[in-house]
Amino acid sequence: MRRGTAEVDVLRGLPGRIGVERLGNGLTVCLLENRQAPLVTTALWYRAGTRDEARGQGGTAHFLEHMMFKGSPHYGPGEIDRRTQALGGANNAFTSHDATAYYFNFAADRWGEALAIEADRMAGLLLDAEEVASERQVILEEIAMYDSEPWDALEMAVQRRLFGGHVYGWPVLGTAAELEAIGAAELAAFHGRYYRPDNAVLVVGGDLGPDALAAVERALGGQPAAGRGRTPVAEPTYPTELVRLERRKGEVPRLLLALPAPPGGHPDHAPLHLLATLLGSGRTSRLHRALVDEGQLCVWASADVSESQGPGQLTLAAEVVPGATPAQVEAELLRQLALLAAEPPAEGEVARAKQLALADWVFGHERVHQQALAAGFALALFDLDHLERELERLAAVGAERLLETADRYLRPERGGVLGWSLPRSA
Amino acid sequence: MSDGLAVDGGVAEAERPAAALLASERLGVRVRRVEGAPVVALRVWLRSGARVESIPGQALVAGRMLAEGTRRRSWKRIADEAEARGMILASFGGFEVHGLAIDALAQDLELALGWAAELLLESVFPEDRTAWLARQAAAELGSLADQPEIKTAWGFLEQLYAPHPRSRPVQGDPASLLALTPDDLAGFHRRALGSRVLVTAAGRLDEDAVERRVRELFAALPPPAPPWPEPAAPAGTEPRRRLVAVEAEEQAHLYLGHLTVPRRHPDHAALELLAVILGSGTGLTGRIPTRIREREGLAYSAHAQTLAGAGLDAGRLVAYVATAPANADRAEQGVVEELRRLVEGGIKEAELDDARAYLLGREPFRRETARQWADLLAEAEHYELPLEDARWRAARLAELDRTAVEEAARRHVRPDDLAVTIGLPEGDS
Repeated sequence: MRRGTAEVDVLRGLPGRIGVERLGNGLTVCLLENRQAPLVTTALWYRAGTRDEARGQGGTAHFLEHMMFKGSPHYGPGEIDRRTQALGGANNAFTSHDATAYYFNFAADRWGEALAIEADRMAGLLLDAEEVASERQVILEEIAMYDSEPWDALEMAVQRRLFGGHVYGWPVLGTAAELEAIGAAELAAFHGRYYRPDNAVLVVGGDLGPDALAAVERALGGQPAAGRGRTPVAEPTYPTELVRLERRKGEVPRLLLALPAPPGGHPDHAPLHLLATLLGSGRTSRLHRALVDEGQLCVWASADVSESQGPGQLTLAAEVVPGATPAQVEAELLRQLALLAAEPPAEGEVARAKQLALADWVFGHERVHQQALAAGFALALFDLDHLERELERLAAVGAERLLETADRYLRPERGGVLGWSLPRSA
Repeated sequence: MSDGLAVDGGVAEAERPAAALLASERLGVRVRRVEGAPVVALRVWLRSGARVESIPGQALVAGRMLAEGTRRRSWKRIADEAEARGMILASFGGFEVHGLAIDALAQDLELALGWAAELLLESVFPEDRTAWLARQAAAELGSLADQPEIKTAWGFLEQLYAPHPRSRPVQGDPASLLALTPDDLAGFHRRALGSRVLVTAAGRLDEDAVERRVRELFAALPPPAPPWPEPAAPAGTEPRRRLVAVEAEEQAHLYLGHLTVPRRHPDHAALELLAVILGSGTGLTGRIPTRIREREGLAYSAHAQTLAGAGLDAGRLVAYVATAPANADRAEQGVVEELRRLVEGGIKEAELDDARAYLLGREPFRRETARQWADLLAEAEHYELPLEDARWRAARLAELDRTAVEEAARRHVRPDDLAVTIGLPEGDS
């Protein structure tokens, strides 16, 4: 994906050329030429997610994502999947708080069908009442699935508490009661408002011919723009002390600590990303050593920082081994955070974390499909230079900057949520 | 039901039995240059795995221990030096093999090759690390058991395969894990080293130079060891039902199925097509997802396979549905009816064309990256099948017409012979 002048030599080795155009109706089109395999990925990102839902109608964005496969003027229910399969391709979609994305992977000689499908369902959906009712049941089963999984259930509870009533704390799938309040009319309104070309980014990546842009223009250039912007997301009211939360589920103690973090575009995001790497990536990371390989208190431990358009979260997770106690794990985790906020890490440790983060980035962008999704993510939420800028910031971070960042964000006593999923039998 | 590698239906022409393959070459090396990201991927596979272990969990822990210390370096030094270069170094133990997977930036190729040889040939099995990794694996079992889908799947595998090793998790069980000694692991690894070693490499590399280097580095393999006795082929089971109590929120987990065939069976390709027709293809296509999710709205997760886990031993036909407990009977009935319709009513030409197009269309996506190529080459060598050759694969699929696929369905899909395992929320079970 690297196309500019980054300091990081290894990125220059990634194949491909990238260009961005804007059609007359406002659709952002990113062409990513990469001929490493005879494949093409299309990824259409709409700037519409959970954060755009009306109160009491949580889950609308995700519900609509499901309905995008359930009938549009030229593709009846199930037809999109059948056509995709008949052409030897694959497709899927996902919804987040910030955006919803749809993608197709096809051989390079037949990807045009993806454009026809996207144009058809951008123009309008059938939203048949019976199909809506049936899909509501499917989503209720999806909710039950996540509620049954101990980590998913804990994560939703912690996130809800960290963000309070803020939309970033709402579950993407909504709740059973909210889904009952969403019908064809609500879905059509959401579609009409947000599924417009000037609120979307299309990435076409892979072994493209010279007429790729013309094909996009023919398929999607006639879609009318909405001309309406998105409501900015408000600042959440994070807890001002460490809030504790306990659930009873399963037989294994699981810890999830969530702390406030800056938006993905904030200058502090890259150093915080590096701190998360230093804490939780690889066997040499601090949490892994203290809790897993040396401390032998946990099966695994991890650290992650979200990359959202608005305010985010840093999460630290660990799963306790039999014989260790939750109190031991919690104390050691908090001690590690305090150490990092008190003293700058050694230069060698910083260099190792940078190398791990960069390698992780390279391995995460090997496939055209990954590159297309990453470009779409950057363009939909930030700008094309976002990924490169983040890497350059990361490469430039020194130990003192990490100390400042740790002091700003790794202070659970200033606010955060410490969630435990504890054994029911305990 | 089973007569060795050719499972059921009287199909006798299974290709050469696995044991005969071992003698062909002690060191198999496959290298492929892959244009793309500046990375390289190495895989080292030793034919072993949980299917031949004498102590449940032995293969898993023996494999993981390869990164826990060599005669030259401690686990800490290995981790420090690998991660300083952004290298992803994983050692593993699976059902049929144990070994190494190393992903590195291309500039570190020589280092990665040297480490692969060192970790494999000079591994030591320190007592303290053995104890910790065994304890860690035992804890993983506890964690997995908290997931309703997995806990139910374990019950299903036990129904289908017992007493074959496939009937248990690759982690074994806590008691056997915690009793493992360094000698158990070292002995297991030594014996595997004495059979066949596969090394594959892919990425931005010089194919000839890498093959030469691998052969140099692995020239000193220990003397041949007697192969492990092959486990008796899984015998399958009479149709039966089992309920498993799980901690699920208002959701039942259904597994229905029976044994089918191993990877090298002549009907493998036909069963792949049948899997797509039943429900392993794109999105919500396939008869079972279409009926259970699309038409009846009973589930979010509904899919089917005909060759799950097919390798040296027989795989399985399996349909999975997660649905509200009140809908479990209806979902089960729907799956059985779809299987019966497949066997008795046959398939449509259009379904077969779509399934074939899907499988062929997926091929380029399996060959995009260095890591995919390294895995594919290892799998090809392991099964002694030209899996990396897209033309071979296309020919295998093209030669199957509707009649041949329907005959395979009648041989291998048996709706009256299903084992059924249902994970139900405690209180409903």
